[in-house]
Parts: sequence; structure tokens; C-alpha cells
Amino acid sequence: MTHHVELRRASRWYGNVVAVNDVSCALGPGITGVLGPNGAGKTTVLHMIAGLLHPSAGEVLIDGEPSAGRSEIYRKVALVPEREAVHPFLTGCEFARMSARLHRLPDPDAAAARAIALVDLEEAQHRRIGTYSKGMRQRIKIAGAFVHDPSIVLLDEPFNGMDPRQRLHMMDVLRREAAEGRVVVISSHILEELADLADNVLVMVAGRLAASGHYREIRRLMTDRPHTFRIRSSDDRRLAATLLSDVSVFGVELTDSGIVVRTAERRALTQHLPRAARSAQIRLLEIHPTDESLESVFSYLVEG
Amino acid sequence: MSIDGTIIWLTWRQLFARRRLYLAAAFALTPLLLAFVFRVLIPDSDAASGEFLTGLVRDFVIGTLLPLAAVIFGTTAFGGEVDDGTLVYLLVKPLPRWRVVVWKYVVAVLSTAAVMIPAVLLPWLVVRTPELPFRIPLSYLAGVGVGCLVYCAIFVALGLTTRRSLVFGLLYIVAIEMVLSRTIIGTKSLSVREFAISVAQWSGNGAVTLSPTPVSLPTVWIMGPVILIGAIVFTLWKLQRFEVAERL
Repeated sequence: MTHHVELRRASRWYGNVVAVNDVSCALGPGITGVLGPNGAGKTTVLHMIAGLLHPSAGEVLIDGEPSAGRSEIYRKVALVPEREAVHPFLTGCEFARMSARLHRLPDPDAAAARAIALVDLEEAQHRRIGTYSKGMRQRIKIAGAFVHDPSIVLLDEPFNGMDPRQRLHMMDVLRREAAEGRVVVISSHILEELADLADNVLVMVAGRLAASGHYREIRRLMTDRPHTFRIRSSDDRRLAATLLSDVSVFGVELTDSGIVVRTAERRALTQHLPRAARSAQIRLLEIHPTDESLESVFSYLVEG
Repeated sequence: MSIDGTIIWLTWRQLFARRRLYLAAAFALTPLLLAFVFRVLIPDSDAASGEFLTGLVRDFVIGTLLPLAAVIFGTTAFGGEVDDGTLVYLLVKPLPRWRVVVWKYVVAVLSTAAVMIPAVLLPWLVVRTPELPFRIPLSYLAGVGVGCLVYCAIFVALGLTTRRSLVFGLLYIVAIEMVLSRTIIGTKSLSVREFAISVAQWSGNGAVTLSPTPVSLPTVWIMGPVILIGAIVFTLWKLQRFEVAERL
């Protein structure tokens, strides 16, 4: 059976704060990335799919049935929460076994051993989780989630705290699990994390679904946006005039603290700027990109 | 109903994690220590042992240790997991939430009882005389048992309701149990300590007389279950509609 998740105009608010606003999407087998800055509503979406939050409006369905308030969905759904906390007084092995027993699996010990092997944590499995590093804690949480062989897996920022080697290993694991027909949903605030991993990316900004599509499409949208630089030089006025002759520049503003340059192509400007300055014999004192924060990248997507 | 061994095991590990184990041992053994001190310091301790045991159990064990142990174990049963976010690992399992409430409550009651039984029996062993037969500590234990049941229901509910459950629990003990119920007669019928003392006296069948007279037995049989069931139903309702917010 092919499993699927569907959000139909789902919204969720806490008092006056709207966390998720009118989101509709359908997720099938394979890896879907939910991308967005902190506070964009990614966790709320994941928790609604996991049935831990009722939508304030709209519907969240798993295989056509509402997800909230039904404990039987956890036979096929698993959640790896973002919060780091895992019972510190248990060993990794005890935690995985506990998960297996709560799922009433016929052979909990074997299931726990399999899950621990999956995340490559055999060596540390008999140590207390309280002594684990952040990355190890992430992995034991993933082991706990995979113990019952779920068909829908929701992972909230799963790569936080993992070193690059663990991250690659975990990506391999998730790719393999998704290839077997599982619905895997991963939230992240870093676009690059989802490269080569997510077939489908949903971009969330301020509770809304800002864009969705293939990773490459989203990547193009994000890099081709206009960029703004603040530049200080030995002769700002002359530099401004010189830069305006470049086709990639579509706006220059003279201010007290230098010039603000707007360009459609960041790479073209960064190549053109030093050459133009040298030929005009102007000394560049400071170049500062002003809109590199995640929020500005994402809000551009919303405006676009 | 089958036994959810894993919830019991997890709650048990939670309750006795780290420093709480030492605290539990201190609660269980302090009355024994006081009994030894009494034996050593009072020259004619045999004659006064009945009075000593009554005072010790009524004011110290039932009046102080029992609510303290219950507030610690009761509020920790859920409180710790709500605080650090680990409750989510129980909620995303194919298991009805009411079972989580029932077994956590059972473990809180048994843990409190496990601490209180030596707190009653050990001092009796030290000061016992022919005038203090086994029936006496046994009837105290009946009272303690009732106290465990009602206190834990209240404190388990509190643990799921507020993040400052321990503070509110202690405030409740001081305000209701230690001040109001001793000064305003009407509030006695809300005092779990009074229920425990009343049951101890009743089950002693004349062997245990505690003064001042505690609340009447019918009050205990009505108010006890009302508070107990009310608190458990509230906890069930609370966990049923418990939602894991983005920032707990």
C-alpha cells in the first residue's frame, strides 16, 4: 500500500499567534524537505502531521484519515522531534528497546538491535544517553523512530549537531529508507542539507507555504534574486558612476556611509567591481553584503 | 487490562533517578533515627513510647513526610517529561493516553507507599512494647495508604498542569494541610492528612486514639473519592487534549 500525507488548507494558531497559515500540500513516497527559517512553522506542520497538534482550521490527513487524536496512527507514523532531550538516565539500547516494547513488537530486542545498527551506534549503545554528544542523541532518537519499521517518518531538523561524516551516513540511511517506498519528511533551515536528498522541497516563511518544487528549482529561485551590497571606497561618487555602466547593476544609492549597490547577479558584480575600481584608480575600503540573512532570502521568495 | 510494564519501568526509573533516591531513603529512615534518639535520651522510654509513636506518626510521618514524598513522586511522574519534552516519546506510540495516566499514577502511589511503609514500621520496631501490638502500625499504614492514593492523584494532576508543579504542590501542603485545616474547622474536610488520620483511627478499632478528633469517617468516604476521582479524571482529560507546542 502506498502511504500519503495531505494538508488541506491547514492552519494552526496559538492564541493570537498564527504559526501555520492555510497550507495545502500532498506528500507521497520519497523524501520531502520542509525548508524555512526558525519560527516559520515547520515544527508545527510536522507536529500536525504527527497528530500531536489539532489544526485550528483545515485538515491534516494520513492515508485519508485525520491524524490528530488517534494513537493507532503511530503503527505507521514515526516522529523524530527537534528537541534534544532523550531520557538521560537510560542507555541508548534501553531507549530503543523501550520504543520497541511500547510498539508491542514481537521481538523488541532484535528490533532495537536492528535500529541501533541502522544509525551506527552499536559501540555506545550501553552508555547512558546523558553522556552522549548532540549528534549521538540525534541518532538514538532516529533509532527509536525507526524501530517499528514505520512507513511515514517525520524528522525535525535531524542533522543538527551531527558531524559531516554522521550527516552523510544519515543521509544515506534516509535515502535508502525512502527508496523502499516510505514517506520521509525532513525539516531544515539550511537549503544545502536538502541537496541530493529531497526530491521535493516545501519552503515555509512566516507560517505560509512560500514555494514548492524540486530542490534545483528552489535553489535557482534563491540564488537568482537581487542582492544588495554596501561599499565604502576612496571616491564613492565616482565608483557609483562607474558601477552604473555595468548591466548587472540596476541601482546605486549614495549614502553618508558609502554606496548601496543593487544587482541582479551577485557573481557578475563581484567579478566586475574590483576591475572597475582598479581601472578608475579607486581604492575599495569595505564591501558588505546587506541581505544575506536567511530571513531576507526567504522573504524574497514570498514577495516573488 | 494488561499491565503496561514498559510505562511502569520508565516511570520508576524517572522517579528514582539521581538525587531522588537519596531523598527517598532519607524520608524512609528519618523516623527510625528519631525513634533511636527517643530511646537513648528518654530514661523511662517504655512508658512514653505509645505517646511518642502517636505523635511521630501523626505529625511527622502523616503530617509532613507523606505529603512531601507524594508531592515529589506525584509531580515527577509527568512533570519531568513535560519539562524536558520527553513526554512526546510516550505520546507517539500506539497506546491510548489513558493507560499512560493510569500506570504513572499507580507507580507514583507505589513509590510513595514504598517510602512510607518503613517510615511507619521501623520506629515502631524500635519503641514497641506489649502495649503497642502490630495492629497499631498496621492501622497507621491503612491511613497512610489512603493518604498515598489521594495525594498522588492530586500531585500527578498538578504535574501535568503546570511547569511549577513542585512549588505549587508545596504551597498546597503548607496552605491547606498545615495552616488552613488546622485553623479553620470547615477546611478539615478538604485535608488529606485528616482523611489519613481518620482512617488510621477507624482501622485501629479502638487501639489507636488520635486527638484532636479528626474529620468524621463519612466525610472521608465522601470527600476522599470525590477528590481522588476528580483529580484522576482531570489528569485523563488533560493528557487527552495535551498538545505538543513548538515551544513547550
